Amino acid sequence: MSDVQTEIMPEGAVSMKEGKLSNFWKDFRKKKPALISFYFIILLFIITLIGPYIVPYDPAAPDYNKVLESPSLQHLFGTDSFGRDILSRLAVGARISLTVSISAVLLGALVGTFLGLISGFFGKWVDRAIMRVCDVLFAFPDLILAIGIVAILGPGLKNVVIAVAFFSIPSFARIVRSATLETKEMLFVEATRSIGASNKRMIWKHIFPETVPTIIVYFTMKVGTAILAAASLSFLGLGAEPSSPDWGAMLSNSRDYIDSSFHLVFFPGLIIFLTVLAFNLLGDGLRDVLDPKTKD
Amino acid sequence: MWQYIVKRVIGLIPLILVVSFVIFMFIHLIPGDPARLIAGKEATIEEVQEIRVSLGLDKPIIEQYFVYLKDLLTGDLGYSIQSGAPVSELIGERIMPTLGLTFISIIWALVVGILIGVVSAVFRNKWPDHLGMVVAVSGISLPNFWVGLVLIQLFSVQLGWLPTGGADDWKSYLMPSFALGAGIMAMIARFMRSSLMETMKQDYIRTGRAKGLGGNAIVFGHALKNSLIPVVTIAGLQFGFLLGGSVVVETVFSFPGLGRLLIDSIQFRDYPVVQAEILLFSLQFILVNLLVDIVYSFLNPKIRYQ
Amino acid sequence: MKSRISLLLFIMMAFLAITACSSDENSEGKAKDEKKEITIAIDQNFVTLDPHNAGDTVSIFGTRAMYEGLVGFDQNMEVIPVLAEDYEVSEDALEYTFKLREGVTFHDGEPFNAEAVQANFDRIMDEDQDLRAKRNFQYVDKMEVLGDYEVKFTLNQPFSAMLNKFAMVPFISPKAIKEDKDLGLNPVGTGPFQFNKWNQGDSLVVDKYADYWGEDATNVEKVVYKPVPENGSRAAMLKTGEADFVYPVPQQNVKDFENNDDVVIEKTPSTIARYVSINTFKEPFNDVKVRKAMNMAVNKEAYIDVVKNGYASILDSTMSSETQYYSKQEPYTFDVEEAKKLMKEAGYADGFEAEIWGNSSSETIQGMEFIKQQLAQIDIDVSIKSMEEGTLSDEIYTPETPEDAKVQMWYVSWSPSSGDADGATRSLFSSEYFPPNGANTAYFNNSDVDKWINAANETSVKEEQADIYSNIQSTVYDEAPWIFLATDTILSGHTKNLDGVYVLPDGSVSIKNATLK
Repeated sequence: MSDVQTEIMPEGAVSMKEGKLSNFWKDFRKKKPALISFYFIILLFIITLIGPYIVPYDPAAPDYNKVLESPSLQHLFGTDSFGRDILSRLAVGARISLTVSISAVLLGALVGTFLGLISGFFGKWVDRAIMRVCDVLFAFPDLILAIGIVAILGPGLKNVVIAVAFFSIPSFARIVRSATLETKEMLFVEATRSIGASNKRMIWKHIFPETVPTIIVYFTMKVGTAILAAASLSFLGLGAEPSSPDWGAMLSNSRDYIDSSFHLVFFPGLIIFLTVLAFNLLGDGLRDVLDPKTKD
Repeated sequence: MWQYIVKRVIGLIPLILVVSFVIFMFIHLIPGDPARLIAGKEATIEEVQEIRVSLGLDKPIIEQYFVYLKDLLTGDLGYSIQSGAPVSELIGERIMPTLGLTFISIIWALVVGILIGVVSAVFRNKWPDHLGMVVAVSGISLPNFWVGLVLIQLFSVQLGWLPTGGADDWKSYLMPSFALGAGIMAMIARFMRSSLMETMKQDYIRTGRAKGLGGNAIVFGHALKNSLIPVVTIAGLQFGFLLGGSVVVETVFSFPGLGRLLIDSIQFRDYPVVQAEILLFSLQFILVNLLVDIVYSFLNPKIRYQ
Repeated sequence: MKSRISLLLFIMMAFLAITACSSDENSEGKAKDEKKEITIAIDQNFVTLDPHNAGDTVSIFGTRAMYEGLVGFDQNMEVIPVLAEDYEVSEDALEYTFKLREGVTFHDGEPFNAEAVQANFDRIMDEDQDLRAKRNFQYVDKMEVLGDYEVKFTLNQPFSAMLNKFAMVPFISPKAIKEDKDLGLNPVGTGPFQFNKWNQGDSLVVDKYADYWGEDATNVEKVVYKPVPENGSRAAMLKTGEADFVYPVPQQNVKDFENNDDVVIEKTPSTIARYVSINTFKEPFNDVKVRKAMNMAVNKEAYIDVVKNGYASILDSTMSSETQYYSKQEPYTFDVEEAKKLMKEAGYADGFEAEIWGNSSSETIQGMEFIKQQLAQIDIDVSIKSMEEGTLSDEIYTPETPEDAKVQMWYVSWSPSSGDADGATRSLFSSEYFPPNGANTAYFNNSDVDKWINAANETSVKEEQADIYSNIQSTVYDEAPWIFLATDTILSGHTKNLDGVYVLPDGSVSIKNATLK
């Protein structure tokens, strides 16, 4: 699980203001790990789209005569305990794993951003109430929270999404809140207020856009965490439908073979690792570029 | 100052009450019936009901909460449904190994994380930076049960250097603390790097550079000192996450700590143990946060809650 | 930068290579043998050490290291006298008279005698204590002390499995009972080993009891039980010599261990029947043709090969071949065409959608995946719902009536707690035992079977009982309320210098003959 909830974003907004898109790209290109990660993620998305049409084998078709075959030319990543082609399963499973993690973080980001904006903008009791709720949520170990949510709602991907979304809410809320606070203090908002803009207008027109870079950076990093969280839920038997080629399910269902058929555990582990690494490095790179405080 | 601290501490009381209520309700919402699990598969409905009554589980949930709260306020955490042992004793037995594990994890994560962070910041955008960040970020990119299983394969089974699990001597702490600390290490390295870069940009450092001090001296002189406090704070904050997060690692390494106790108790719906443990996690989280707030408000009075 | 990624890949591959090659160092195991101490790694935690309240297999065998009953089980689960020298059962099967062994002392020095039996009996029957062992005495009317070393139990109705039930009731020191300490934490029995310490969730340690009444069958001074839930970790412990005995050995590792000269793998047939219960109350499963088709669509040989790695045998009755009064049936042959024909006759030529439930263990998940693949051949589209054990048991046992039950198929196993036919039949197939009252999750309802289950108890003639149970088995098997899958093979492993620790067919580990070479 994201047992280590990495709140690595320093309190403070990052801003896209000073850089136009071309400037941004120029800076970003210097971040080699981030750039490679970016290409890798693009590749993943392409696989997500066309994967099911190009895989050499039916990812669901068992072949009991070919179980646990080591990697070979026919099966580059070998076969699993039912004789299914692991490469094909990973390619098709990309869709499930990415959809689950991205939609979970999206859901968490939506709710969290909303709460953070309100909290930061209105302050006073609204702020205190929302932040106390976040404290309570934070105080729960998130794995336990997720186990509980999945247990209450029942197993299934939809509920994994909800569970993972749930514990990314408070961190988004906090990050966006502090970004909002900083923006609010900036002069132009004060100016707008004196002109007499409505609260709603101020939040959406002036404050929200300023927090967007922060959200994008944080979002990218959280996707990685979400993939791991979903995998950990699978480890505890609470994740995706076990027969589906979800990466986490593949990894945790094959873990009893770690000694006898290492490739079963290795390849899903590797692809999860690379994907999460890519999202994290991309997030790091974006942050470096977007945060004026560390920009050269 | 004192007024602020007192105010914050008093403010905790309702928070803790709410947390205890939420925990209680949440745990009881999870489907499952300890009476059924105790009674076993061959039990009849009457037997299950008898057990339910003797555990007080037949009462309305709100009443159960107040019974729990009353006991809690008198310092009584209750008895394990599963084994009948006092909950405080169960937790007492497990807390030291987990604290030890957490401590070791944080220490190595701090040392390695700061090192990588410094190197990365100094060699910004050059290959040591890239390598350092890839290594560090790998730490939060690996499913830790996978890391655990692979470590056991490598160091226990193949090389025979380390025991596969338990908490018998220092050797048995090595692999779990590695798996547990990797994420924190990554976080510290990233934070260290950005915070160093930030400080280095600040004017007085530019001034220092103008005076002709060498680049490295600057880094280790001013910037490092300024960056260390937030880094250590962050590491401290992670303590709580580690306690809660040791669940998976402790399962893989059969480590007799709080994380595994929690998983075992949840599986058995051992309500008193689960409640006490989550409350403990929450409390330490709340307290560490409070401590950080107070320290910060001491350093920067502007932050204080109005 | 591309080169950096390939470097990373290279490192991972090198890692793979290192892990793939093997080395057999076993130094740690040897140092331990000098001290005559053994470690037994098992897959679950002990729940309690109160022998009258232990219900799960692990707690039962944990307590059996320290406790004994009037009778017990030998290695094949046959009932043998233990604390009773001899016993007699009356003609009408209502009176059980035990002659107690003399000269037996509890670990606290108390003598074992009729008084001690009485104290234990009183404790078990005490309504306030709610002890699980009471269930073993549900047909016992009263107990009488006939002499210092003679007791008699009188039943209110004959019960075919009564002796097995006596074997499930160990005796606690009467002094310990009187002092009323928490017996779940402070065991005092008569067994060959006595309690040393129990760190819950970590280890149970027992020491050899010097004044044991029986023959000196063990040279082991100290036994440490360690619960290690993760399969991979447990297998690793056997490999590294950290554990001297491991049960269960993950089936995936068996082949590997068989090439290992330091480790011996034992295969024991079990009383564990593995099956998928089909809710016969629900459409379309209420049609026996559908249920038969499901049985025929599942290739059991392939199941055993793929899911069990070959370590199981076909379940050819409603109970395992190791269970009392087992009678072999003709298994459903794997025949997809015939199965399709039956589906067509039942009006489901195009199949239907269904749900299978099971717990979240990796083996169960594999099993459910297999069932899904097999039933797809006759167009039954199965979706898998794996649930955490507590949630699952709630889903199964909460519905008050068959109408409310949501369960369709349940991938599960059953092992009668004392290896008796009644335990393998009554709560699974009697219509009085629908959930929540029992484990008849097939909602199997057959008035003949109901009648026979009771009739089997009412006679005390063994041949008659065997006949009745044979009838039950053939009737139920023919009605196909389950997809009959397999009887598990118990896989345990020990280092080659350890002998005498073995697993009984019910999955309990016996250490009383543990010998280090």
